[in-house]
Amino acid sequence: MKLLPLFLVSFATVGYETALTRYFAVAKWSEYGYWVISIVMVGFALSGVVLALWRDAFARNGDRLLAILPPVLVAAAAAGYYLVTINPFNPLQLQNPATWQPQLLNIGLYYAALLPFFFLAGLFISLNFVLNAERIGRVYAYDLTGAGAGAGGVLLAMFAVHAFQLVPLMLVPLAASALFVTRRWRFRSAGMALLALLAGEAGLLTDPQAAFNDFKAIYAPLHTQDAKVVAEVLSPRGDYLLLDDFQERVDTDISNNAGMMGLGGPPQTYGLYRDGNRVTALPKAGNWDVGYAPATLDALPYYLIPNARVLLVGASGGFRVRQALALGATKVRVLEPEPVLADALLFGMGPSPPLPVNPAVHVAAEGPLAEPPGIRDIVDISADFLDTAEANVSAFSAEAIAGYLDGMPPGGIVSIPVSIRDFPVYALRMLATVRAGLLAAGISDPAMHAVVYRSAWSVRILLSVATWDQARLATVRAFCDERSFDVSWYPGMNVEAARAKLYNDLPRISFALGEVQATGPDDAIADEAEAILSGRDTPSAASFNLSAITLDRPFFYAALRLDQLGTILRRLEILPQQEVGALVNLAVLAQALLIAVLVLLVPLAARRRLIRQREEGQREEGQGEEGQGEEGQSSVLRAVFYFPALGLGFLFIEIFLIEKASVWLNDRTSGFALVLTAMLMFSGLGSLAAERLAKSPRRAMVVICGVVLIWVVLVLVWLQPLILGSLAWSWMERAGALLAVVASVSIFLGLPFPLGLTRAGSGGLLPWAWGLNGAFSVVATPLANLIAREAGFDRVLLCAAILYGIALLTFPVMRISPTWPKSTTSLPAAD
Amino acid sequence: MAQIDHFITRRGLIATAAASVLAGPSFVTHALAVTPANAAAWTKAAYEQAMRESGRPVTLTDTQFDAIQKRRPAALKRIESYLQERLGSADPAVLAAFAAVPREYFHYQYPEHHATPGEAYEDIPKPWALGYGSALSDYLGQAYMTQVCQPKPGDITLEIGTGSGFQSSLLSRIVKDSYSIEIIEPLGKAVARIFAPLGYQNVHTKVGDGYYGWPEVAGGFDIIIVTCAATFVPQNLLKQMKPGGRMVIPIGQPFKRGQMLYVYTKDEDGKVHSKRDMGVFFIPMTGVIARNQRPRDE
Repeated sequence: MKLLPLFLVSFATVGYETALTRYFAVAKWSEYGYWVISIVMVGFALSGVVLALWRDAFARNGDRLLAILPPVLVAAAAAGYYLVTINPFNPLQLQNPATWQPQLLNIGLYYAALLPFFFLAGLFISLNFVLNAERIGRVYAYDLTGAGAGAGGVLLAMFAVHAFQLVPLMLVPLAASALFVTRRWRFRSAGMALLALLAGEAGLLTDPQAAFNDFKAIYAPLHTQDAKVVAEVLSPRGDYLLLDDFQERVDTDISNNAGMMGLGGPPQTYGLYRDGNRVTALPKAGNWDVGYAPATLDALPYYLIPNARVLLVGASGGFRVRQALALGATKVRVLEPEPVLADALLFGMGPSPPLPVNPAVHVAAEGPLAEPPGIRDIVDISADFLDTAEANVSAFSAEAIAGYLDGMPPGGIVSIPVSIRDFPVYALRMLATVRAGLLAAGISDPAMHAVVYRSAWSVRILLSVATWDQARLATVRAFCDERSFDVSWYPGMNVEAARAKLYNDLPRISFALGEVQATGPDDAIADEAEAILSGRDTPSAASFNLSAITLDRPFFYAALRLDQLGTILRRLEILPQQEVGALVNLAVLAQALLIAVLVLLVPLAARRRLIRQREEGQREEGQGEEGQGEEGQSSVLRAVFYFPALGLGFLFIEIFLIEKASVWLNDRTSGFALVLTAMLMFSGLGSLAAERLAKSPRRAMVVICGVVLIWVVLVLVWLQPLILGSLAWSWMERAGALLAVVASVSIFLGLPFPLGLTRAGSGGLLPWAWGLNGAFSVVATPLANLIAREAGFDRVLLCAAILYGIALLTFPVMRISPTWPKSTTSLPAAD
Repeated sequence: MAQIDHFITRRGLIATAAASVLAGPSFVTHALAVTPANAAAWTKAAYEQAMRESGRPVTLTDTQFDAIQKRRPAALKRIESYLQERLGSADPAVLAAFAAVPREYFHYQYPEHHATPGEAYEDIPKPWALGYGSALSDYLGQAYMTQVCQPKPGDITLEIGTGSGFQSSLLSRIVKDSYSIEIIEPLGKAVARIFAPLGYQNVHTKVGDGYYGWPEVAGGFDIIIVTCAATFVPQNLLKQMKPGGRMVIPIGQPFKRGQMLYVYTKDEDGKVHSKRDMGVFFIPMTGVIARNQRPRDE
């Protein structure tokens, strides 16, 4: 009972944090939800520092504080959320050098709104560690299992509660924690918490301020005449709205000459939006008109291979299926891994009908990596597939491309789309990936097996196992000429000559110099296609990241070279929204490092005080003796390495596993939820064993780190083949296997922290260590993302192994091994 | 209102624009030279009356109004320099249009019913939020886009995405008729009222889906500007573009300065050609050559 408030506060804090990231994803853009995590950890780290410096004062009033904090937390959470929702922060203005300054103030206001809650929550949790120093393992277990339950709970709540209502929901467990505080203060605490809850809920629910940003894609259609929402789906993947408004239609790249070809445009549809971003068009009843299909950029493979057997990756609401059939496909296997889209195809959504039953069409709710090699003439990836789900990026990896070619007849074609609306360099990077995929498939001369053609907005890359013969190339040229498309590459192409007859001028630019480099008609993709397909360096590589997309580095929107940050910042205005995430990541990393340094400086500024508190704490516990000054200083130094190493290592493993789980379950949301919840729960359970292992903690640490290192080696060698070999398993089977992988290491990962805290004693060193761990946990997330982006996720895991090695070497030492006393007088009375 | 009609009339501005074309480059100086006269005509009372008649009543002090007007010549000079730098020369018709249209009239936060004229002619040009997800683009970007459109007297133009109405007003000072369609109902209805008080009788607006263009306008359009977030080019707009006409589509997020454009043209066979114009963010090679060839001051 005594630790139940800790469980509930941990539950609600993680739930609140997750709810805030969902608020940012829906109301603003998901990239900025990242700030929330950083604010959380700043609050936690600061609470650790404050408690470390004034540990005695806090411990003397511990009982009272633990009783006062629940109602204060409820009030702080409610007020913080209200202030967040009325903050006029506009991410788009942040990208403009002329308008960014007021936005910095708005970001500052977010900190002011949210820091109090997370500081107080951190104080509540770390105070529990200080007041229960004899039961560190148990305290940590309640903290972690509470956080794990909170993560799982809020994700489950997302199936029924809108993102904007999640915070009001999380106030309830927060208030409930007051029911279990020490009996002396319980009535008053519970009464105040109830009042705070009622006031908070009244304020948030009767005057809700949360709304879509004016500049999100959904805003304009929602405000057209007679627009209405005709269906809504709530899920942890996002909040889906199906809109009926007059401007919705199939979003496809159609030839400018469609009118001359006697073809009409796409039909009116419903528009499906997720978190305010458009996902796809869904059909209106009886309106499946795809007469425009011959004019689309996607149509060429169907002219090259009539009556094709097609593997269609992404259905675009079903319209791509109908287009394929209209273009003569005899058999279409449709892969739609996004669950809501798959359901819409199979069962319809609201008034939108399902895909008509057709024996030539088979829909599978799985991703292309799970697809076994088979006979298919065309593998056709839909243009919107990349952005319909985060895990879909794996379909564009070199490994996936090699897989598409496996078992394909020599004349078969893989058709890969790339949008060049923002940056043409995405097409160049895809060509580098194509080269890696073709090489992996055993094709030694990739340039001879690729054709690239485009409109002004989009590129299609066609790959063939056989080299391209003249007859097929003639079909390619004729198809493009009729539609005012341009061929950017085919084997034997004369790029110079082709410039004279361009339909869509796409000038070369120098991102670094800020200059258009073409003096006449130009095709920036044609200029470099052959060199990239042949593995040679090109001018674009000097400014952009042209490395292949792989399962180890599965980042499509990672065209920027972060080593050229100055240039990137000068071009900030024109960066695609998706690239901004990497910059936010860097900003969060810089801020996290600053906070971490501040937290680290505490022992330098107040070293004597901390050591004295630690010795007093040990004397209280009957462990210490006089004259342990040198030992104390050594412990401080070791703690400087030990606790940050744990904070970084744990998160590195977590982030690695979340990425692998996304591929394994073919869904980032369920992968994230399962890994986060399982890691917290299992490490929490593991920490319960800390008390038993405390008699020989060094030996325990050797075993724990040995297990972690062996696990890392096994995972690096076996996990990828296991994932790729088991993608055809049922979701439950894959989730079970994932849980086994996560649990096997998490049980052990829960031990080093409480073992280290036990060694830190109950003085000021303990909350400082807790703050250090928190500060470096927030460093870990952006740092892991940066390492993964630049070097791959395997390197992230290797770094984790090294960090646990450092933890082993710097495990805090003491002259006297600690025991686990039953209780001390400084502790609050247990209920 | 009569005062405004007297000084800012369509006929007068078309005549001015036509004169500018005939006068050649020397008119640039002249256009700026006449600005003070226009500015004098555009009084505080005229501004307040026009605002009132457009359903957006506001009161300014003389000092506030004068401060706005004082910034105007510098902004016009900035536009001229910018166009010369980016495009090699500044179209006198574009400069004259900028000199004629009172930009402060278009600074308005529609959901809050709040006029923000004090933001006009800012030293560092920037976009301004109008509400309803729309923004008044920065004036340098608008000048660039207008000149890229190559508007001429007698042209018929269509804008998809009325927004503040400034772009349509600007074009209306040069061309015969300026049509504009706004998709967001409350914004479109509110902005539709602001042209008549200025006497811009050749601006025609409606609320609706720009995808279909304005097929009722016989003969199609010489210039089409698509300022809303376009994913691809609507076929109906291409059909309504006259042979030899131009379609300009700015791309990217709404709060960037200036514009990155797609420019579409239709050839004699009716086939459509496009050009990605990076001129605002990336200096064209011709500009670099021009600067390199410039003799040193010493």
